[in-house]
Amino acid sequence: MKVRLRLNGVDREGDAEPRTLLSDFVRHELGATGTHVGCEHGVCGACTVLLDGEAVRSCLMLAAQAAGAEVTTVESLSREGALHPLQEAFAEQHALQCGFCTPGILMAVVGEHRAGRSLDEVVADVLPGHLCRCTGYGRIRAAVRAAWPELEARA
Amino acid sequence: MTEQLARPRSLVGARVRRREDRRLLTGAGTFVDDLSLPGMLHAAVLRSPLPHARIAGADASRAEAPLVLTPADVARSTREVRCIWVLPGQRQTTYPVVADVARYVGEPLGLVVAETRAAAEDAAELVELDLDPLPALADPDQALAEGAPLLHADWGTNVVVEMEIGDPADAVEDVIAGAAHVVERRLRIQRVTHCPIEPRGAVAHWEAATGTLTLWSSTQSPHHLREMLAEVLTLPAESIRVIARDVGGGFGQKEHLYPEEVLVSLATMRLGAPVKWIEDRSESLLSAVQGRDHLHDARLALDADGRFLALHSRIVSNVGARPSNVGAGPALVSSGMLPGPYAFEAVGTTFRAVLTNRPPTGAYRGFGMQQAAWVRERLVDEAARELGVDPVELRLRNMLRPEQLPYLTRTSQQYDSGDYPRALERTAELMRAAPPRPDDGRRRGVGFASYVEFTGLGPTAANQAVGFHLSGYDTAVVRVETDGTLTIATGTSAQGQGHETTFAQLAADRLGVPLERVRVLAGDTATTPFGSAGAIASRSMTVAGGAIVRASERLRDKVLRVAANLLEASAADLVLADGEVRVRGAEWRSVPLADVASRAWLGWDLADGDSPGLEERDVHDPAGISYSYATHAAAVAVDPETGEVEVERYAVVHDCGTAVNPTVVEGQIEGGVAQGLGIALLEESAFDADGMPLCATLMDYLLPTSDTVPDIEVAHQESPSPFVPGGMKGVGEGGTIGAPAAIGNAVAAALPEIAEHITETPLSPARIWALLRETR
Amino acid sequence: MKPVAFAYRAPETLEETLALLEQHGDEATVLAGGQSLVPLLNLRIARPRVVVDVNRVAGLGGFEAGGGALRLGALVRTAAVERDPGVAAGWPGLREAIRHSGHPQIRNRSTVGGSVAHADPASELPAVLVALEATVTLRSTAGARELAAADFFVGPFTTARRPDELVTEVRVGARPGASAFREVARRHGDFALVGVYAGVDLDDGSVGAARIALCGASPVPLRAVDAEHALAGRPLDERAIDDAAEAAAAAVDPWDDLNGPAEYRRDLARVLTRRTLSALAV
Repeated sequence: MKVRLRLNGVDREGDAEPRTLLSDFVRHELGATGTHVGCEHGVCGACTVLLDGEAVRSCLMLAAQAAGAEVTTVESLSREGALHPLQEAFAEQHALQCGFCTPGILMAVVGEHRAGRSLDEVVADVLPGHLCRCTGYGRIRAAVRAAWPELEARA
Repeated sequence: MTEQLARPRSLVGARVRRREDRRLLTGAGTFVDDLSLPGMLHAAVLRSPLPHARIAGADASRAEAPLVLTPADVARSTREVRCIWVLPGQRQTTYPVVADVARYVGEPLGLVVAETRAAAEDAAELVELDLDPLPALADPDQALAEGAPLLHADWGTNVVVEMEIGDPADAVEDVIAGAAHVVERRLRIQRVTHCPIEPRGAVAHWEAATGTLTLWSSTQSPHHLREMLAEVLTLPAESIRVIARDVGGGFGQKEHLYPEEVLVSLATMRLGAPVKWIEDRSESLLSAVQGRDHLHDARLALDADGRFLALHSRIVSNVGARPSNVGAGPALVSSGMLPGPYAFEAVGTTFRAVLTNRPPTGAYRGFGMQQAAWVRERLVDEAARELGVDPVELRLRNMLRPEQLPYLTRTSQQYDSGDYPRALERTAELMRAAPPRPDDGRRRGVGFASYVEFTGLGPTAANQAVGFHLSGYDTAVVRVETDGTLTIATGTSAQGQGHETTFAQLAADRLGVPLERVRVLAGDTATTPFGSAGAIASRSMTVAGGAIVRASERLRDKVLRVAANLLEASAADLVLADGEVRVRGAEWRSVPLADVASRAWLGWDLADGDSPGLEERDVHDPAGISYSYATHAAAVAVDPETGEVEVERYAVVHDCGTAVNPTVVEGQIEGGVAQGLGIALLEESAFDADGMPLCATLMDYLLPTSDTVPDIEVAHQESPSPFVPGGMKGVGEGGTIGAPAAIGNAVAAALPEIAEHITETPLSPARIWALLRETR
Repeated sequence: MKPVAFAYRAPETLEETLALLEQHGDEATVLAGGQSLVPLLNLRIARPRVVVDVNRVAGLGGFEAGGGALRLGALVRTAAVERDPGVAAGWPGLREAIRHSGHPQIRNRSTVGGSVAHADPASELPAVLVALEATVTLRSTAGARELAAADFFVGPFTTARRPDELVTEVRVGARPGASAFREVARRHGDFALVGVYAGVDLDDGSVGAARIALCGASPVPLRAVDAEHALAGRPLDERAIDDAAEAAAAAVDPWDDLNGPAEYRRDLARVLTRRTLSALAV
């Protein structure tokens, strides 16, 4: 079947089976491979994208469910070569090593900031929803804290 | 609190931002599952559902798929895989890609290829494997029991290799017999798994017209893969190209050729089309190589003054269904590194590597040294408690002093350089500066762990001496391009360690080139020099980094020789910096590096005997092993009613020689500590009494999360390696080595009434609850 | 791993939905938030012939919190319950329970109806609903029925819902004067090893009515009736709380698993009941 959705502000259409996951659809059908897949059972958080602005696990949705929706992925964050303040903070704080889990974390923080969560809530409640095997998390927390004033200023 | 390492005006030691981050942060990295080739097909792996079964046959007639490789197909088309580390007397030194007996749940038995992964899984469900169940060995107790079923009947035992390391047992017993105090414990380190967030994966593409097999793999060791794949498939090595682009973590799990990589290679050669296999998380948890699973019966003997006399351990290493490529290596390293930073009169171990019906264990960050630290440092704290001595004081009393180095341990390790007591004292100072904690009913304690770490996996002669069929050297090619930019090609590759930055720092510093004008080539056997080991054993910086330094310094000399001709000056009077060569004391006389390079590549203005071009290739084979060291400290709060442990503070004072990029070094340590914390508190790859795995998802296999890992304080010491140009020692594994022991000691300090029973990880809430209940 | 092949239906009306459920019976699976179902699909543990996605069905998203009562449509996201000021003011223990349930990224999708219908014995929301004597509305082409939450949950992952029925709504009529939730989990956001919800009405310092329920410690969300009785009419002091905690521990029916022996969970039931009630006593 055909699935149409808006990906990072662009109307897109692709083929999907009913069982095709949104993560696989975005990555392999639409070619946006910045969203990663680490477990396909909703634990690792690497596949987190924004669905109509809300942070969700794209491995826990069927592509068909996203028909007509706006899907936002990590590819949307930087503009004209300039990194998003959160990306900038991750680079500055060395908050990534292999970088596989990073896109999901970025999208969750961006989404939950937009949803009105406080910095403390994001650190205490959102970051534990992402597995990173490289950094030990301290630098991820530091990057989120460092970027927060700029996220607030942008909002 | 992070100590700044001051090394002014040098890129080495500078906290420069990582150059790989931009692509990773913008989703522009290329991980193996990001590859999509025209006509690509997808594979699902047939796996054993039983822990032990004879494979009587396979019926694929119901599976509608372009290709099914049955166990028999695979056996016909492949040679056995060689174990890389073969110890004396090891009863098994090769293993088939697919055997005629399945020996663990999840063992690969064949492959199904279809248009999509989902379709391949559909078809795989329709392949009927005819399996005759055999009695399974769930654990070493069963495997070593009298009359146990044998995994290899002709051996007469399930022990694949056994060794005695260090002082002979009699000699150790003599020392222990004369000791005033002996602490004896049975200590266990559970089975864990690496869980890189990117699971394994491969895309294979056979181009029949050119006879070329290209394998993109999420591997730590592309050259090793190529060498082994050529052997297993009986292909010329020159026909195979292995490429590892961005790799989402490895930690030892991705350091050798896996059966799945052979299977997709066979499939593409049958079909012509590219074939992709991406490991799913359950496959990762069930079938990839695992780590640890050691049992130690260990004794520490002290004299009446609290001086260490002897340390001995009888080790049982559960290596699983067959020796992995490194077999019993971790048990050997556990033995060799058992003494740690202390002086003893006698140290010895005996180990038995035992087969069971679990996945093979292999290299995992810390490689036996984490086990050694757990055993030794727990015994030290138990001795301190029993003798009523402060654990830090007891350590200091027995620690090797800087003036005793170099020092040959009782287990034949030649420690090189460092100041072990200072690291311990500084860590203790950091922990004394403790913020006040609320009286919330929790019990608090601080624990320390000190260790010395074997890093680098070289010299080559040492590898040969211990039967390790892996190059102990590495090679670098460094080239100034015609425009003055720099290219570095290295035989090792990265899975998040930041080599594109740190290797560039090494070369840029020596060739006076800004960092942004340096490119690092790695992970592609077609564009990089051979290096069979890859990114393992904390060796990239010590061995490959050393090669880059050597090649860069030779190249700098050649730049200066060409520039000397251009500037009509003596090379000895020239300075290479900021992209140009200047005459010292007459700085207005200069020539841009780009001009030097373009002349050199034309073959103009060369010194006598120099050949055209501006490229040097050099090899670093260290003359000795570089030993890093550290002391870790953890402060924990334990809820005595629920058994929950919170790590409130964590500090590390470490020494990895020259820290090329201290921020990257700290990242390595912090990440390692988090993995060690997982071992200490959360992770266990568990099996039931029938050998069936209990952890097939990340809901059952518990990785550390942000709420469980505190900020980690790191402070540096720097004792340059005498064996590595540039002075670097390895740092990839240390964090994991120390953390379980530091946390275990902290829990024991918080709960002295159960301290003697803090012998086994993970220290789960239920385990602590049960121990506390027994004392009530 | 990828799901088995299935047909996908995304009806937009309740009538259409119920007709599909009637037609396909137990070959159909209802997909709401998907946070528990899709992992089971991906692992091929759930193997439906038809997936009926109810996310586009009109009328399942009703949300009223006020006047001492709570009405939650099946499609209400748990994040919306967590964010609702009326819930925060009137049912703080419910809000705390939801904040222990996964992470915001999960709660943005997970639904009230899905949590209830999935009936994971370790899940937080069902225990709160049992304590609050909520009713679960089930609809089929044959009509509607309302079940008390305590009757709805039958066993682990098992409810009184027939395959042709859809959970459409949950209603809560009770609003305790004070309420709290505590749990022990291995990591933040994990399913509870044990979780305890307690709500009490205090009249002149003594307990008028108490509502206590536990998750993770029994095959179903367990209302600890004896613990409630232990408190009735007594001041909420240490002795009363200890009696209630002992009663809760005696009532649970835990099991051994990777996280520890049954007796550990029983002891957690005692400790957490005490702690939850103590939080209400201050």
